[in-house]
Amino acid sequence: MKRKLGALATSVALAATVLAGCGSSNANDPNTITFWTPLTGEDGAYMDNLVKQYNDTDPAVKVKHVVTADMYTKVSTVLSSGKGIPDLTIIHADRVPGYVKQNRLESMDAVMQAQPELKEDNFLPQAWGAGNIDGTQYAIPLDIHSNVMYYNKELVSKYGADSFLEDDNVTIDEMLSLEGKLDEGHYVVNDALIGWVILGQIQNLGGDIQKDGQPDLNTDVMKQAILDVKKLNDAGLMTPFGEDGYLMFQGGNVLFSTDGTWSSTAHATVENLDFGVTNVYSASPDKFTNRASSHMLAMFNNEQRTDEKEQGIAAFLEFLRSNSVEWAKAGQIPASKDVVESPEYQQYMQSFFTSTEKETESLYIYDYEYYSYVAEAVDKYAIDLIRGNIDIDEGLQAMQQEVADKIGQASGGAAAGE
Amino acid sequence: MKKKLNLAPALFVGPHLILFLVFILIPTIYGIYASFTQWNLAGSPNWVGFANYKTILFDSDSTFHMQFFNGLKNTLLFVLFTVPPLIVLPLMIAVALSHKKLKGKTFIQSVLYLPGLISISAAALIFTLIFNKQLGVTSNVFGSALAWTTHQPYAWITIIVLTIWGGIGGNMIIYRASISGVAEELYESAELDGAGPIRRFFSITLPSINFPLIYTFVMTTAGAFNVFGQPLMMTDGGPQQSTSVLMMYIRQLAFGSGESIAGMASAMAVLLGLVILVISALQYYVMNRNSN
Amino acid sequence: MSNQVMDLDKTAMATGRKRSKISISQIIAYVFLGLLCLIWIVPVVFGITTSFRSQTEVVSTGFRLLPVTWITDNYTAILQNTSTAPIMRWLMNSIIIATSHTLLVVVVISLTGYGYARMNFRGRNALFFALLGISFFPAVVNLIPSYKIIDALGWVNTSWAMIIPGLAGMGNIFLVRQFMLAIPKDLDESAKVDGASHFRIYFSIMLPLIKPVLIVCALFSFTGSWNDFLWPVIVYTDVDKMPVTAGLLLLQDIYGNYRMIGQLMGSAILAIIPTLTLFLFAQKYFVQSINLNSGIKG
Repeated sequence: MKRKLGALATSVALAATVLAGCGSSNANDPNTITFWTPLTGEDGAYMDNLVKQYNDTDPAVKVKHVVTADMYTKVSTVLSSGKGIPDLTIIHADRVPGYVKQNRLESMDAVMQAQPELKEDNFLPQAWGAGNIDGTQYAIPLDIHSNVMYYNKELVSKYGADSFLEDDNVTIDEMLSLEGKLDEGHYVVNDALIGWVILGQIQNLGGDIQKDGQPDLNTDVMKQAILDVKKLNDAGLMTPFGEDGYLMFQGGNVLFSTDGTWSSTAHATVENLDFGVTNVYSASPDKFTNRASSHMLAMFNNEQRTDEKEQGIAAFLEFLRSNSVEWAKAGQIPASKDVVESPEYQQYMQSFFTSTEKETESLYIYDYEYYSYVAEAVDKYAIDLIRGNIDIDEGLQAMQQEVADKIGQASGGAAAGE
Repeated sequence: MKKKLNLAPALFVGPHLILFLVFILIPTIYGIYASFTQWNLAGSPNWVGFANYKTILFDSDSTFHMQFFNGLKNTLLFVLFTVPPLIVLPLMIAVALSHKKLKGKTFIQSVLYLPGLISISAAALIFTLIFNKQLGVTSNVFGSALAWTTHQPYAWITIIVLTIWGGIGGNMIIYRASISGVAEELYESAELDGAGPIRRFFSITLPSINFPLIYTFVMTTAGAFNVFGQPLMMTDGGPQQSTSVLMMYIRQLAFGSGESIAGMASAMAVLLGLVILVISALQYYVMNRNSN
Repeated sequence: MSNQVMDLDKTAMATGRKRSKISISQIIAYVFLGLLCLIWIVPVVFGITTSFRSQTEVVSTGFRLLPVTWITDNYTAILQNTSTAPIMRWLMNSIIIATSHTLLVVVVISLTGYGYARMNFRGRNALFFALLGISFFPAVVNLIPSYKIIDALGWVNTSWAMIIPGLAGMGNIFLVRQFMLAIPKDLDESAKVDGASHFRIYFSIMLPLIKPVLIVCALFSFTGSWNDFLWPVIVYTDVDKMPVTAGLLLLQDIYGNYRMIGQLMGSAILAIIPTLTLFLFAQKYFVQSINLNSGIKG
């Protein structure tokens, strides 16, 4: 036994030496830009390609791409410890106001000075605007990724729904006209990303989620938006509650699927699925909205970030601006105007959303400081409200309460120092 | 002489004590401290005294009050539904496997242990597909017309099935190891005395594995109180938050989208910790007393 | 006759004749275990076969246990992606981490368990239960202080962050202690009379006796370390250094969904091969019959 234990101790020591050999890498390497992104899955591979292409141009400062699951938690840990803060980070548009308020983001002024093409005119306006807080630019957009509606071409023509698509605005009334006309097991629409759909309807109805900085969810507009969508459920046109609407669309049983721009790549892997993309359905015949967000490039405050690095970051951002057509492969809408106007980009399905001015305007990014809380609450309650599982007034009340309570607990909230 | 007596235990328990201090005690104390603060994880915590506890326990209008009690109720239900089968089923398996003439023990044991090795997300996906109405077993084989994950009591059933399927392996091998340690002679002499298998189980096997039994009972319960993966991935807490367990709320407050509400999350975690503490102490006390 | 240890059979008790009693209890054990195995293996088979299905087939209506067409594309895709998801590398990392962790766990828990079960010192039980109780507090927001400690030790992005902190856990020590409490006191009392030191007793009496439970603990530690995914996501920034379970999270899309179902299944199946191998190897040992009472009788 003793001898065995000795062997054991030796092997532990051995393993330890091996491990120590691959010691910690220095996050503050002056010659490398540490670039964190939450781009897991396929997206990360496309971003890897872009980074690789950039590094192949032999820049003064190279970029190291780090994909992170659960990135925001990880950001909290490094911000809290003050060490290992990444040089450049992709954050979602909804996160920008919060981080700015906490004084965590560095302004992009120096970066924009270094690369004059990084300016408002060269980007889609709502994406650029999402990085601008009170006149200061804190983040530069990479893309817009949006709620969209895919349609199954075969089913749409089978049920004579082609006319719905003509004005690029499929209305709820048009969908309702299919009531009673579908074969068993077929549905008009699924409930994928339903929270985003509701947030889009609010814009269609001319409402908002806030009033003077306070959350405003228990409103007539919200109620109307939910009741409009609920009609589809009540008419039996929506995929049954609890079914995976995304898979049902891929399985060829659903005419319309409200999903994200990024899903086109996955849909393309399904044989026999002939699909197209259009705007998310609307209750109004005059207006349609695709609730969107943006991946934004931002710098967390970090004293160790040298001026040379900032120059390097600027050069990399300019490279992304000019070359992000690669990013279109991931199904996203690049935020760079040069790219979306390029002929090469027109082959991508999502180019539909920048094809006309009206389309571009339909991509709506909420900029409310507490949007994340709102979206969380809407996601939690919308589905039960649409399915008629809870009383609508109680549901709206609970949503409003939840968001207000969370804001009260957030830093700077009313309860601070109570 | 006295010194020598004090030194030896320090050598045995000392190294672990240091590890415990650094990696468990300090973080736990910090977690308890955080429960008295308002904190967004990234910045420095802001002391608020008992405000979080007051809100959670007494402010019946507050979302956090609703979340805590709804979450605790659902967690208790999960414990009640899963702990007894996670104790009894593995025990029955271990007893059946100790049958001397049985063939294929290694195979049986491996099959039953295997699910515990599959990552929770893959396991949940398997069961999501199985319980899926369009693609799965429930409608195509059993002709059930409902989507199970969104209708009670089926939503609970899917969670329980996944938990038991993936969770019996650990206790099974603890019981296997324990029963194999019970002296053969005890059974032989009992059999000579004319004791049947049931009596032998209750008068020999159970008392002999009493200590491991206490262990599995306490630890399985504590583990069940910490559950979040299975409900999160099978039902996402639905329908109508009826399977939202406390740990899901705590995790969403601390690591959800938007600014973290870690102080409130900590207070809920501390309260959950107290509940676990009281229940496991009771279990230990009752079972230990019965064994003496 | 003496071979029959026990069973769950009520009818066996009722029947008086011993021959039929053996066979009935055996049949019942077979039926019970066979049925369980059947129920348990169907989802596993379904998971494995799903890794050989195309997405087209996954989404087509109707339950089929076996794929209509078997494809290996999912595995090719997994193995070819060596830049963003180097799964073979992750598996290697996991093996190194889990093995080192497990070896250290065995040393720590056997020593500590002995201390709390077989040694006498003031406040022994109070200390043990205090530690156990503290370890029951859910470690949610403890993430931040834990990270800061790891950072202070310079272990961020190294395997130490995975190997060492888990050694502080109480679960395995509790189990070892429980087993040691069941061992008759006379064993080491008599050794003590013969002048044996605690280390002698620990090495030559206790370790052999608790070998099955140590193997069980080793198995748990290995699997636990292997399957931990919350912590490694926080402490690793380098995709090449990650263990496999944390790495698999990178296969999800940004909203936490797995869009490529076959690929996820394939990766999950590759990831269990090492732990399964270990289990197949270890299960010979943890049921080794060790007679705890032999000391008294001999």
